[in-house]
Amino acid sequence: MEQRLANAWRMTVNEKKFIETALLSGLRIDGRNLYDYRKLTINFGREDGSSEVLLGQTRVMGFVTSQLVQPYRDRPNEGTLSVFTEFSPMADPSFEPGRPSESAVELGRVIDRGLRESRAVDMESLCVLAGRLVWAVRIDLHILDNGGNLVDTANIAALAALSTFRRPDCSLGGEDGQEVTVHPPDAREPLPLTIHHLPVAVTFAFLSSESIVVLDPTHQEEAVMGGRMTATLNTNGDICAIQKAGGEGVPQSVVMQCLRIAATKATDITSKIKEAVEAYNTERSLRKIKRHPVPNVSADVGRVKENKNLSFNLKDGDEFSGNQMPKISQLKLEIRGNDPQSDSVGGNTGIGSNMKGGITSKGGNTGNFLGGPSSWDPYSKGIDPNLLRSSLASRGVSVPSKKLEDLKREKHIISEAKTEVPSSDNKPTSLIINSEGGLPTNRKKTLKDAVKPKHKRKKRGSASTNGS
Amino acid sequence: MGDKSSGMPSTLVDQPVVPGDVVLDVSTLTNRAIKLGGGLRQDADLIRVTKGGRLRFSKPNKYWVESSQMRYVPFVEDTVLGIVIDSKADNFLVDIKGPAIAFLPVLAFEGGTRRNIPKFEEGTLIYVRVVKANPGTNPELSCTDASGKAAGFGPLKDGFMLECSTGLSRMLLSSPTSPVLEEFGKKLSFEVAVGLNGRVWVNAESPSTVIVVSNAILKSESLSSTQQRIMAHKLLEKVH
Repeated sequence: MEQRLANAWRMTVNEKKFIETALLSGLRIDGRNLYDYRKLTINFGREDGSSEVLLGQTRVMGFVTSQLVQPYRDRPNEGTLSVFTEFSPMADPSFEPGRPSESAVELGRVIDRGLRESRAVDMESLCVLAGRLVWAVRIDLHILDNGGNLVDTANIAALAALSTFRRPDCSLGGEDGQEVTVHPPDAREPLPLTIHHLPVAVTFAFLSSESIVVLDPTHQEEAVMGGRMTATLNTNGDICAIQKAGGEGVPQSVVMQCLRIAATKATDITSKIKEAVEAYNTERSLRKIKRHPVPNVSADVGRVKENKNLSFNLKDGDEFSGNQMPKISQLKLEIRGNDPQSDSVGGNTGIGSNMKGGITSKGGNTGNFLGGPSSWDPYSKGIDPNLLRSSLASRGVSVPSKKLEDLKREKHIISEAKTEVPSSDNKPTSLIINSEGGLPTNRKKTLKDAVKPKHKRKKRGSASTNGS
Repeated sequence: MGDKSSGMPSTLVDQPVVPGDVVLDVSTLTNRAIKLGGGLRQDADLIRVTKGGRLRFSKPNKYWVESSQMRYVPFVEDTVLGIVIDSKADNFLVDIKGPAIAFLPVLAFEGGTRRNIPKFEEGTLIYVRVVKANPGTNPELSCTDASGKAAGFGPLKDGFMLECSTGLSRMLLSSPTSPVLEEFGKKLSFEVAVGLNGRVWVNAESPSTVIVVSNAILKSESLSSTQQRIMAHKLLEKVH
């Protein structure tokens, strides 16, 4: 008992009086304005669906996981969403391990209501087999540090985690279409959730009797406040939920004013969350590219067209590279002395092949890159559609207009290659020629490749891109 | 590590030390009294470190270990800021951010008798001195100095209290005056009470002064003295 007494956080009479006096002059103890949020930082972990949000001193981590379960009887074709909160004792001396306290349950409920009632997450897309199997999405929120205003912070953590969460792709199969296979993330790219809008919670604290309202109360302001209200809304101005549990009575005009303020703040916060999620997604797709630095980005480039998310079908890429390498090493011996041959060989293969060649060399040596700048570059904004088209051209699909351009570039590249060959016997140079020389054989391989694995074709949508 | 010739201060002064390090060997010194501060313990002839931190020495003969934490370990003769939790028949129960609640005898005031026991309500902030502090027992406090005079001890009215680390409190109490306090002192008038247990009380005429000074103090922990002055100047410009 005494230990608990010693460890509790206490507020002095001086602090109470001071906070109220300062607020009468419109000052808050940390120097903010009445309707200012503290500094918001959103970080993500390495896994999809894990976020850490800092709002001033308050720190909350969110994790989203999913599992296949049986749906509820009254909603056989909808997935389920559940929110769990954990108030870690390290966050505040008053948090005890074990049973969640009243405020913990309230926090979980407010966030759950904001997401569920407003239908922010599309539940029907989580159905796999109606009546039998659906995805159950579980959000875990861990409170790490209580600096005040846990509801808002936890809500942002939940939204950020949901926005970056990817669930495994699954397909139906078997004789009667009843067998469900869940694909591991390396086999098939996991899918994000369908989120219609982001319901943002905005908390107001009502202090002293002069009906002073402040936004985003700190721990000390919370200890002094007379009542609080949380409004959950989205950028469209829809009110998803309002929570006012006990505390001082507040006139209607004040409530309306709060809702108006909350609408502007919700837009701010939504844009911040979206920015952070975008940055995470870009970084994630970059990570995927970097994982396989072997020269097969051109193969992937062809497939990027179908895949919106810039996440490459690496397995296919790997196969390709595996097959290509031995050919190149073979050709090395053939081509080395043959400039005129490389000339004719390189003639009509188009930019795509040169890109491949360029990329091969890129793998070996940055200095001798000859292909287009953007398609393989992980730091570029996107794929140049012209280059895409030309890569497809190289595989046999005729694109006459492009070919002329390609030939021109060809000539330039070949002349460069020529000059490089006599000057040095470096590997990179030979690599360039090799790839150019090796291309007719590669082309044959490309066609075979296109026919080979069934699922590749399925993934694409149109079979034509492989030039088969 | 343990070699000390007679009369010379320990070679570990101003060095980081860890529990178990031997700082001095008393038998090698000439017969002089040595004062041990926090974090040091006498083990027969050896003085050993019990708390990790930096070893400090002040002439003529005081040694102690300094470390900065958010919790406080009570030590005798420290001046701290306590919050009254409860009042019993003989003592006030006071929280000083330590592992155990401290007792403040109701008579430990200047001219204190059974007739004029002060009334402290829960949450009163008081400036007190630690009289007894042994590990495992509740520390004892007093609102008088060694000679029995008030000397500024007692309840603090109004103002604002902030919690910080013990290292920052020591920095604020160091002499020469800490740069942040000095710079603000030139332009603004305010009063400050610093407790070695990581609590600081600030009071001034206008709330804005109090807010500016308290936030500046909190931020100054990680800044060097020039940085502190720059920060103080910037904040002062904003206020005026």
